[in-house]
Amino acid sequence: MYDFSQLNSEMQRRLEAYVASRQALDPKTLGFDELLQRTGRIRAHWQLVLDELSIYDREGLRSRCEEAQNLLHENGVTFNTYEDDPGKLRSWQLDSLPYVISTEEWDQLEQGLMQRSRLLEAIAEDLYGPRTLINSGLLPAELIHSFPSYLLPAVTDQPARRPMLIFHGTDLIRNAEGQWQVLCDWTQSPSGTGYALENRITLARALPGLYREAPLKRLAGFLQAQHRALASLCNSQREQPNIVLLSPGPGSPGYFEHAWLANYMNFSLVEGADLVVRDGQVSMRTLGGLRQVDVIVRQINDPWCDPLELRGDSLLGVPGLMQAARDGEVEIANALGTGILEHPALAAYLETICQRLLGESLLLDHRETLWAGDAEHLPRILAAPELWIFRDITEPAKHLRSERLSAAEQSALLNQLQKTPWRYVAQARLQAATSPVYNTRSDSFEARNINLRLFSLIEPDHLFVAPAERQYRIMPGGLAWVGEPGTLLMESHTVKDIWVMAPVPQPHISLLRQANGPIVVTRDGTDLPCRVADSLFWMGRYGERLDIRSRLLRETLGRFLQEDQSAEESGMLPDLFTALEIQSPDPLETDDPIAETDVPFKYKQLYLNYRNRLLELFEEHHADGMPWLFNHFLRNCRAVRDHLGDDAWRTVNSLRQRFNDMPRTQGIIVGQRQLEGVVTDLAAFFGLCNETMPHHYGWRFLDIGRFIERVLCTLELLKLALLSARQPGIPLWEVVLATTDNFTVYRRRYRSQLHPSAILDLLLFDETNPRSVGYMLKRLERQIQRLPQLSSSPYRNQESRLVIQATSALHLVDIDRLSDIEHSADSRAVLAQLLDQLIAPLSELTNAISHSHFSHVEAPIQLVTMQS
Amino acid sequence: MKYQLRHTTRYDYSSDVTLSHNEARLLPRDLPWQRVSDTSLVITPQPVRVRERLDFFGNRVSYFSIQELHSSLEVTLNSQITTLPRQLPPATLDLAWQNCVAQITTDTLAPVSLAEARLMMLDSDFVRSHTDLADYARQSFREDCSLVDAIQAFNRQIFEEFTYDPEHTTIATPVLDVLNSRRGVCQDFAHLAIGCLRSLGLPARYVSGYMETLPPPGQTKLQGADATHAWLAVAIPGWGWLEIDPTNGTLPDERYITLAWGRDFADVTPLKGVMNGGGKDQLSVAVDVTPLTDEHLLELF
Repeated sequence: MYDFSQLNSEMQRRLEAYVASRQALDPKTLGFDELLQRTGRIRAHWQLVLDELSIYDREGLRSRCEEAQNLLHENGVTFNTYEDDPGKLRSWQLDSLPYVISTEEWDQLEQGLMQRSRLLEAIAEDLYGPRTLINSGLLPAELIHSFPSYLLPAVTDQPARRPMLIFHGTDLIRNAEGQWQVLCDWTQSPSGTGYALENRITLARALPGLYREAPLKRLAGFLQAQHRALASLCNSQREQPNIVLLSPGPGSPGYFEHAWLANYMNFSLVEGADLVVRDGQVSMRTLGGLRQVDVIVRQINDPWCDPLELRGDSLLGVPGLMQAARDGEVEIANALGTGILEHPALAAYLETICQRLLGESLLLDHRETLWAGDAEHLPRILAAPELWIFRDITEPAKHLRSERLSAAEQSALLNQLQKTPWRYVAQARLQAATSPVYNTRSDSFEARNINLRLFSLIEPDHLFVAPAERQYRIMPGGLAWVGEPGTLLMESHTVKDIWVMAPVPQPHISLLRQANGPIVVTRDGTDLPCRVADSLFWMGRYGERLDIRSRLLRETLGRFLQEDQSAEESGMLPDLFTALEIQSPDPLETDDPIAETDVPFKYKQLYLNYRNRLLELFEEHHADGMPWLFNHFLRNCRAVRDHLGDDAWRTVNSLRQRFNDMPRTQGIIVGQRQLEGVVTDLAAFFGLCNETMPHHYGWRFLDIGRFIERVLCTLELLKLALLSARQPGIPLWEVVLATTDNFTVYRRRYRSQLHPSAILDLLLFDETNPRSVGYMLKRLERQIQRLPQLSSSPYRNQESRLVIQATSALHLVDIDRLSDIEHSADSRAVLAQLLDQLIAPLSELTNAISHSHFSHVEAPIQLVTMQS
Repeated sequence: MKYQLRHTTRYDYSSDVTLSHNEARLLPRDLPWQRVSDTSLVITPQPVRVRERLDFFGNRVSYFSIQELHSSLEVTLNSQITTLPRQLPPATLDLAWQNCVAQITTDTLAPVSLAEARLMMLDSDFVRSHTDLADYARQSFREDCSLVDAIQAFNRQIFEEFTYDPEHTTIATPVLDVLNSRRGVCQDFAHLAIGCLRSLGLPARYVSGYMETLPPPGQTKLQGADATHAWLAVAIPGWGWLEIDPTNGTLPDERYITLAWGRDFADVTPLKGVMNGGGKDQLSVAVDVTPLTDEHLLELF
């Protein structure tokens, strides 16, 4: 009955595989199909996509898909960045086959979504205003009051000045009957628009032919409108309102998107500790002092936004934020309290509410929902509990499915349903339509279930019109992901672009946001948040430490291979272990009786112990190991994601991949190769930072961090090699030169055997050598002088004084007395004193800079009165 | 009765506070049985911004923030309060308490707001329903007992069976611990009673305020010796909210000054704040409820 004859043989084969994969599914669940009509014909709106993809043969399409995958991966598009464990990081598979919606169908869907946004806005305004829905009993008081996101402090008798719901995300599926069914709403900070755009950009690059010509609706206009809506929220009528994106920080699962959006929309990415309420206004702590914030796009859930009026244990929020919003000093999108609209039980009453508030019937169907707290609903639930999926509204993210509960858990649930029915919502199980997904391995299409997230936005010009006239607009596209109905986006493995077909080809709009006002150029860089400066500094320090440690470890592994395995002396290994700050194995570690008699065996044993200690450094949980260091570096990189260029970020991802593989490192030679890669990736990373970051304060802090670390490590290394080593001498000096990458320079310049004085000249005094202490001190001094000065004091600040102190020690030392380190105790004493005079002030430098510029705020403390 | 009320809360910090945001619920409510006049809230150091509003429960909330460096915070309320006798349910009101429980979820309760009554039946931060609490209350809430009689009996039951013991409790003593130890202070008894009533299916709300205390016979009253007090109110369908004071086993009368009410203590915390700095703090509270006789009034003019 299927007729694919107009398509070429490649495509016919893919489609036949699709038909077969559908037939393999449970016939009871089989219903509507997105691609094929019941008659077996291909639905008209898919024709174009299939035609365009037909031009690719097996290898062609597969390589295009891999290209898309690589682009996504290099950009670090991942949803779950919660874990710092790189092994658990997962990128999406991006399906090159879009999810296609026809023009006619979209028109209907759009109407339904627009109504839904208007309805939810009307509900929010009622629940936080006159509360007629509760007072009339239409919505049970228990249903609303027991939900954590219903904020009593947000209830007001003042009429709303503007809509609470600025943007809104709706998850839906198409069921086996072919009907759209809404699953849930995202009304606080709907995530996914950034991903939707990133997917579109990626696929348009991987499949340019398909995307350039297709009559599909473009996405860029929607984000431009979103920017316009947010800018118009600001009531101070400033030309360039200061809009910030308030994120819970790099630990939150949506952080990638927060950074992406902040960059794309040109918002400052801030965390709660970056903001402060002073003089009633919300300000951002920056290097140049406080800077007023006009609009906050919050990515923090309602109860956590203000520890004064909401949850007191919140460390994410900003004390006094609610009052500032109440006074109109700052606008928050979406308004605080909109989380109540995510209540899963609202669906049970939506039809009636729609009639009451809008006087309309509900256009868009939603999944059947019952609330156990309703005396009419409870008997229906108890009659057949196995038919429902339960949600506990005090833990809204949890889904309780009877088939996944033990018998004891099931009876506990039934018991709870009777005792505290208001806590439970019952949602119908759904059968979804099937839709094609491209399988790269078999080069064929497979039938899978798809979830969709679509987005709506208040019309920017409708912000201040009467509620009845307000309209929302729908993003003509969105995010689709593979999984059974209700699968969380984060748990899905494959995402898809959504195509909304337009009747005629659409003009191409650059996805780069176009400014529609005069650009205000800020060149001074003092608006950098203090926290960002802090993270850049530590990114520099950890990055540099990782680099030096990698070089040192690489050299150590090299020397290790040259050791005589059965020699009594372990050579220079103990000294290198000291440099690496790890314990050498105890030579008497074995009490094996054979070892007592068989001396070569004993040393072989010791040799193995050395080897194990070295390989341990590649392990994930080693407290001083390479992956551990990298995680610190990575955490700081993430915190400044929006300040790093895309190419720099690609090198971070390449490093991440490297460290992902590192714990499995088995041998010394593999380890060496890993470290080579780390060294070059880091060089690329810092090189790109130098090339692409504006040389403003942010870059200066990064540079200062790097050079403090480098100078301290160099000094420690010199101290070890020239003064405290057990076995000083040429081999160790070679390691010093190799670690500082100065071997070649040395040979070219001195053309002689290694000599301590020459090493000192090269690594301490030569100010033209970027690896010398002299050069580094000069660089630190220059960078520190150019940092913003907050106080108008005519005196030098602490950090300048410390650098001058170190520099003078270096300049004033009597070089002649240093000439015979190898034989003269006096020389060694002078060197020891010099090194200490350098190390002491430089060790204090970090604290001084941190004190002057990062203004670490103590975590706010709660004050509560006791009652007698 | 007419009273001069003075309530001072003082915090001394071990290190400087650079910024604080605070909420005070210290301005007494105006009520049919309570008139409030000549009210002032004096805050030291001087706040940069003070905003007054009514909260969800109708309590008067003062938000203020302090930006100058300070090592102590003092908030003093001064107010003149005139209290009138409260109405009591008429003897003709004969409602069996179980019928009331059924009525609350279905009927109108005017003048009691249905939405408020249902809110006051739900669990809150400090008070969670429990079968042990319901069982304890059933000593007074016997089959077919009238609602008003049962409430009054229950009020005396707590008073007689519990020991007032300021040493025993902390701010957040769980209600079940109070039930087991049979000890506590006014706040614990109010929370306990609320928990028992809600566990039976009756709406109950927490009331904070003050009570005039008398010095021992022959002695003069000490300055600042009075204290804040807490009791509760129960919804009587078709009539209103009946206040009871289980700490003293009485029904609040003209000697009781109402400050605020809510689901439990968390809703009526007199002074709360979030600050930067401060370290450890030391709290001192002084309350004076001074009766104003006609002579006092004359002196004032």
